[in-house]
Amino acid sequence: MRKRLMALCLAVVMVMGILAGCGSDKDNGKTNDGKDKNAETVNKLTVWCWDPAFNINAMNVAADIYKKDHPDFEMEVVEISSADIIQKLSTSTSAGNTADVLPDIILFDDGLIAQEVLSYPDVFMDLTDSGIDFSEFSEGKVAASVVDGKNYGVPFDSGAAIAAYRVDILKEAGYTIEDLTDITWSEFIKIGKDVKQKTGKALLNGQSGYNQITVMLTSCGGSYFDEDGKLNMSDNKKVKRVSELYLEMLEAGVFQEETGWDTYIGNLNNGNVAGAMNGCWIMSSIQAAADQSGLWAITNVPKVDGVDGATNYSSQGGSTWTITTECDNPELAIDFFKSTFAGSKEFYDKILETSAISTWIPAGESETYQQESEFFGGQKVYATIVDFTAKIPSCVMGAYMGTARTAHMTAVTNVAYSGADLDEELAAAEETVAFEMGQ
Amino acid sequence: MNKTKYWIGRGIKNIILIICSLFCVFPLVWVLIASTNASVDIVRGVLVPGKHLLENLKSIVEHYDLLGASWNTIKYSAVTTIASIIVCSVAGYGFEVYHDKWKDRLFGALMITMMIPFVSTMLPIYQTYAKLGLLNTTLGFILPSVSTVFTIMLFRQNSRSFPKDIIEAARIDGETELGIFFKMYVPTMKATYAAAATITFMNAWNNYMWARLIMSDNRAQTLPMLISNMTTGHYIDYGMLMLAVLISTLPTLIVFFALQRSFVEGMTGAVKG
Repeated sequence: MRKRLMALCLAVVMVMGILAGCGSDKDNGKTNDGKDKNAETVNKLTVWCWDPAFNINAMNVAADIYKKDHPDFEMEVVEISSADIIQKLSTSTSAGNTADVLPDIILFDDGLIAQEVLSYPDVFMDLTDSGIDFSEFSEGKVAASVVDGKNYGVPFDSGAAIAAYRVDILKEAGYTIEDLTDITWSEFIKIGKDVKQKTGKALLNGQSGYNQITVMLTSCGGSYFDEDGKLNMSDNKKVKRVSELYLEMLEAGVFQEETGWDTYIGNLNNGNVAGAMNGCWIMSSIQAAADQSGLWAITNVPKVDGVDGATNYSSQGGSTWTITTECDNPELAIDFFKSTFAGSKEFYDKILETSAISTWIPAGESETYQQESEFFGGQKVYATIVDFTAKIPSCVMGAYMGTARTAHMTAVTNVAYSGADLDEELAAAEETVAFEMGQ
Repeated sequence: MNKTKYWIGRGIKNIILIICSLFCVFPLVWVLIASTNASVDIVRGVLVPGKHLLENLKSIVEHYDLLGASWNTIKYSAVTTIASIIVCSVAGYGFEVYHDKWKDRLFGALMITMMIPFVSTMLPIYQTYAKLGLLNTTLGFILPSVSTVFTIMLFRQNSRSFPKDIIEAARIDGETELGIFFKMYVPTMKATYAAAATITFMNAWNNYMWARLIMSDNRAQTLPMLISNMTTGHYIDYGMLMLAVLISTLPTLIVFFALQRSFVEGMTGAVKG
């Protein structure tokens, strides 16, 4: 019995010991995110971002390059997902302890950044007059982080849309990659029907039509909001035309909707569909099927016929860095970006191996970007994508862009599967978004 | 005739049970198979074991701090479990043995709090902890799960079958209240302790939302956080992901099977006299 009592006491002491040990984490002059606030000049930047193979790798490469001229420089990259960043941002702002929680630099998806800046205006630093030359970035990309005419972000990777096709399947149906270059959506659907008939395969697939519709709408500079930020979905020619084209594709079996991301990628890798259209980051998933090397080729996306401002270029995804107002040494953070993401060809050359394609236009001039890709039949894919990136039209982004996209998708789904009327559904979608906006 | 009927009935029952258990076991078997395959084969729907296990392990180790995350998870879960069963058993014992009208009402109030989901109390708790400086500390991490109404209730219900006469007898013999608790109650309630430990351990092991909210340091990453981070990239390596899921499932399986017998006894409230 005494032994048991001893064991219990020991357990209690151990628990206390561990607790006490960990409780002192805070007492060594550091605040919660490891920032050393006691030092006079802070030489360390803390970063929040996700994806070790892509974003985190890029940040670490940038840090190594910056360290060459600034030996004292330190960087801590905290791995945290996009959804968790949004949650932490909202909890810490409502708890009023952003100073303890937020890091110096945060990465955001391009589709979310305007919304976050508008929701938490005091959290992000205005970079308009920081000395970073935004004219050297692709115009459409910069637009994603401009709110009320002010720049809040340093653009990072390209989300330039590509259309990638299986040349062997196209050949079977009697087409080449040139037949799908610089075309309109109407022409695309005609070819798609033919390919479907001859090979039984859809030209495209996707996890719902969310990404596809974004690609189409962006390509003609369309948005759910006008220049003044006013919502317009029901009386919007571009939105309507894109919806009609998408529905036509779906009905003809040219576009195949999938139930999840894994089936989307699975059908691509299995060769069940003849192509993929998405942000250029989709290439890493396509290239996972190494046995299909040489069978793929990329080209630009079709343009939306029948509307003004239509182009063959678009974007989907990509992300942007922001500097928070909690940053202890803003000069350091700005100088860091000027020397790397907004000023170093060496940096962009080094991260190209992870398929991180620059939106900083001078990077595309480097030799590395001219290399040919064996997987894509010897095409100079990187140089091509940089060229696409520069031509992406800029679109009005609103704080409720994500909400509007989801509402638009719901409307299209209702028309496709419940036979509802498109005009009525778009009007209903507008009401939903207006309600969320509190208008 | 009756015998044939009996066997047919039994056969049908067993077939239904086998089918149901296959449904339950399949996801686990699938994870097991998937962890040995390359990502591209998994999305292609391959259902036979592959030879990619070592490569998957290599990718995890290369990109993530698997050992660090495992150690953190073990540390947090163990501390939470030990602290929780001590606190909750004392509370459950107290509510039952020293009960009066007001303690019963208090217990009723506690039971009502079970209906409030954690997500709705999360923010106020976070704000309180932020003010107390408990962000990014182990104490802040484990504190919300140390005292749970469910575990207190488990101990209280099971204390009902603990013979009160023995307590009276011990008091007459001059044993202290603490002595009664540690020398008589704890050894008798082993099964309940095992059940409480299993549940608390599993909850602590899988704790994600709170962990993510209160910890913002790479060094404090736990296995659920690590797995969640694996699904955020442009390209998801399903092979690596499934292996990580498997690794993180094993300890809870081991704990459950080790304490399985006591767990069932503890949940059903048996006291071995």
